[in-house]
Amino acid sequence: MQSDEMLLLTVVAEAILEDILIDEVRRQGAAGYTVTDTRGWGKHGKRRGNWRQGGNIKLEVVGSAELCDRIARQFKEQYEADYGLLMFTTPVTLKN
Amino acid sequence: MAFDPVVLFFLLGAIAGLAKSDLKIPMAIYEALSIYLLLAIGLHGGVKLAESELVPLILPGLAVLAVGSLIPLLAFPVLRWLGRMPRADSASIAAHYGSVSVVTFSVAVAFLAARGIDYEGHMVVFLVLLEMPALVIGILLARMGSKGPVQWGKTMHEVFFGKSIFLLAGGLVIGFVAGPELMDPLEPMFFDLFKGVLALFLLEMGLVASSRIAEVRQYGVFLVVFAIVMPVVSAVLGILLGWGLGMSLGGTLLLATLYASASYIAAPAAMRIAVPKANPALSIGASLGVTFPFNIFLGVPLYFWMAQWLYSLGG
Repeated sequence: MQSDEMLLLTVVAEAILEDILIDEVRRQGAAGYTVTDTRGWGKHGKRRGNWRQGGNIKLEVVGSAELCDRIARQFKEQYEADYGLLMFTTPVTLKN
Repeated sequence: MAFDPVVLFFLLGAIAGLAKSDLKIPMAIYEALSIYLLLAIGLHGGVKLAESELVPLILPGLAVLAVGSLIPLLAFPVLRWLGRMPRADSASIAAHYGSVSVVTFSVAVAFLAARGIDYEGHMVVFLVLLEMPALVIGILLARMGSKGPVQWGKTMHEVFFGKSIFLLAGGLVIGFVAGPELMDPLEPMFFDLFKGVLALFLLEMGLVASSRIAEVRQYGVFLVVFAIVMPVVSAVLGILLGWGLGMSLGGTLLLATLYASASYIAAPAAMRIAVPKANPALSIGASLGVTFPFNIFLGVPLYFWMAQWLYSLGG
């Protein structure tokens, strides 16, 4: 079975940013992404997720370390100052 | 004073929220309810519009837009200099108050229906038109004296293709093209159930608003006073204009309510993208936590009373 070592970039951000972040992920050349609606609490207060203005999304991208780094750097530069944004990477093994 | 039962659902939701009840309306249901309300309001207006002449509406329409554009320009200096708020916040809040709330409008429609008072169908056209200019004015006010590009494309996409304008305008066109007879089979779904769905939606709005009240309190008395006085001032403009344009009493109440209402669906989305420096807790907190409940409980009856008084003077 083929096994590729990759990184999973997870971005938790305000739901309003969904389309903008996805555009950027695609522009950077990611092969795909997954988005889920989420809720939680953090520096930007409680995000209840019961309506769009108060909801978060979790955007996940699997790619090379270089791609994940490029995307994360871009997001940090453009959105960290004004929006709720949390990003982290985890090593993953791609099985297909 | 007897409140319309639909607004009591808002109170029920707010009490549930404040008491930390486990009551929660799933997001999918909230979305479905809001889609229904937007379409129902649009269709209703479209059917009424199909029965009226369009050309005589152009000049009144321009007057309604012109006065509506004054509201954010009035609100901005008050917030900026009297309230000493940062430019971005002042501009964003001004945009919220210049834009309109579909649900407040729906409550006023239900208020009129309960009293058997008719209104002009083109009020829904005004509802669609009034959503946008204040947002553009708000963005321009925020931009004056600041650097960096505005994401106009994305912002305008939010405004025109965000579900509120899209479904309202879509419903309006469908209702207008179909006319009253062809719409008849849809009546049980879109007209008869309207008040019941509005009640459920208000239950959810009560839950959401209760979480915003605490946020507004943090920003002091000024914002709370603004969130009550500003709608009354805007409503007076609406009543005078409606009366001046020779609208019916019902139409004038709806115009006053449109001017008095503050957006909390289209404006927050557009302003979050276009003016990211503005704190959304302030504008949504004021519009949803204070102005919305004020309008549905006290504002609409007050504006109706003021309009009635003016109409009784004018004969």
